[in-house]
Amino acid sequence: EMASVQSLTGVVTRFWDEYSVKTPQRLQLIDCYLAYIVLTGVIQFLYCCLVGTFPFNSFLSGFISCIGSFVLAVCLRVQSNPANKDQFKGITSQRAFGDFIFAHCVLHLVAMNFLG
Amino acid sequence: PAANEFGGSIEVSGITNFIDNGGNVLVAGSPSLDDPLRNLASECGLEFDEENTNVIDHVNFDHADTGRHTRVLVPSSNIVKSPLIAGAASKKPLLYKGIGMVLDPDNSLISSIVTGSSTTYSHDASESITEYPHAVGKSTVLVAALQGFNNARVVFTGSLDMFSDEFFSSPVQRGVAGSPRFDTAANAEFVTAVSQWVFKERGVLRYSDVQHHPAGTKESPGHYTVSDNVEYSIRIEELVDGQWKPFRSDGVQLEFQCIDPYVRTPLKGNKDGVFSTTFKLPDHYGVFKFLVDFRSLGYTFLVSTSPVTVNPLTHLMYERFILCAYPYYASCFSMMVGLVIFSVVYLFHREPKSKSE
Repeated sequence: EMASVQSLTGVVTRFWDEYSVKTPQRLQLIDCYLAYIVLTGVIQFLYCCLVGTFPFNSFLSGFISCIGSFVLAVCLRVQSNPANKDQFKGITSQRAFGDFIFAHCVLHLVAMNFLG
Repeated sequence: PAANEFGGSIEVSGITNFIDNGGNVLVAGSPSLDDPLRNLASECGLEFDEENTNVIDHVNFDHADTGRHTRVLVPSSNIVKSPLIAGAASKKPLLYKGIGMVLDPDNSLISSIVTGSSTTYSHDASESITEYPHAVGKSTVLVAALQGFNNARVVFTGSLDMFSDEFFSSPVQRGVAGSPRFDTAANAEFVTAVSQWVFKERGVLRYSDVQHHPAGTKESPGHYTVSDNVEYSIRIEELVDGQWKPFRSDGVQLEFQCIDPYVRTPLKGNKDGVFSTTFKLPDHYGVFKFLVDFRSLGYTFLVSTSPVTVNPLTHLMYERFILCAYPYYASCFSMMVGLVIFSVVYLFHREPKSKSE
């Protein structure tokens, strides 16, 4: 098992080195935002498991808000990645960001209504 | 008692109608009892023994008995311990010579006031016993009382002699050697007390002034809401020596019923006879009633009902922000704040020069 642990740590360090060098800073910014969303979502879910689902609509609203933001941020990341330029012909990064903001408006409108 | 039928136009149905209309009756029988009184007794839930039978007790008989042991000296412990019905408790025995009764066990309104001892039985004194006697031991009832739901009272006894002057004033002593001697039996006091009770001079209650309102205000609203605090009060008075005096008791209860009682709480009385309590309405809406149902041996039945409606909470009565949902509120807002900060940073971001090289 020493070998597998060593290889696991080897893989992680190699991944981290490549990531910090090769990824554009823009995308690293989005990744930080994504990590923040995941953290909020996980905390919320653990709280719900502990306390119970009493105001279920509030739980759903908060959780869906986290998940929706995560999905939209991932979409933005995919569309902003220069390596994917071929798949998104005709969608500039400004257009991608505009879609991102518009979708977020709808998401937060719905979340606030459902929050109670 | 020996009459074959009642005189004039009186019939058993006439007397039962009189009782149904609230009248009170005191009935005294004797061994030569005939049908009319027997029918009246069975209408009321008790049965006299056959004609010419007597209550016999070979242990508790008076010294003046002629040998048949039918002049029974009933120990004071066999008299019911209710000062309302039987008067003040005393050690003196009761002198009884007459016929015995048995009560219908299913009848909840009739109760025995004086019973025989375990050595008492009811039989024809001149015949030998060939079959099981009609009434034996403590289930031989000598004086019985019935109080109907309309509070009409009827008292039956099998001994007309119990009311006689001779029984009132003779000295009594048990026929067994060494028994204590009493100057008089308890007959005079007992009979006076029972007659006062049966003719509604004692043990009569009435209620008035039923009030209920939310605790803290004095007005009675048209309806209550679930889980309100409500104060209820009722004034109960007792007839004492011809005057209505405040009633004192620890046993008055209030029930808050919607088919089944949801709340059962004792009522505390003050010196004016006003019984009140404060309690919380149950978490159930519907049509309820405040019910005071006081039944105690010797008192008239007291029943008071007041219907009320209890409404559920209106939309505005729920809390606006639920405390345990605060983390969810926080996460929603934090998402929005995070979005704003992220967009600001993202839009004003410039790739570092070294990367593009």
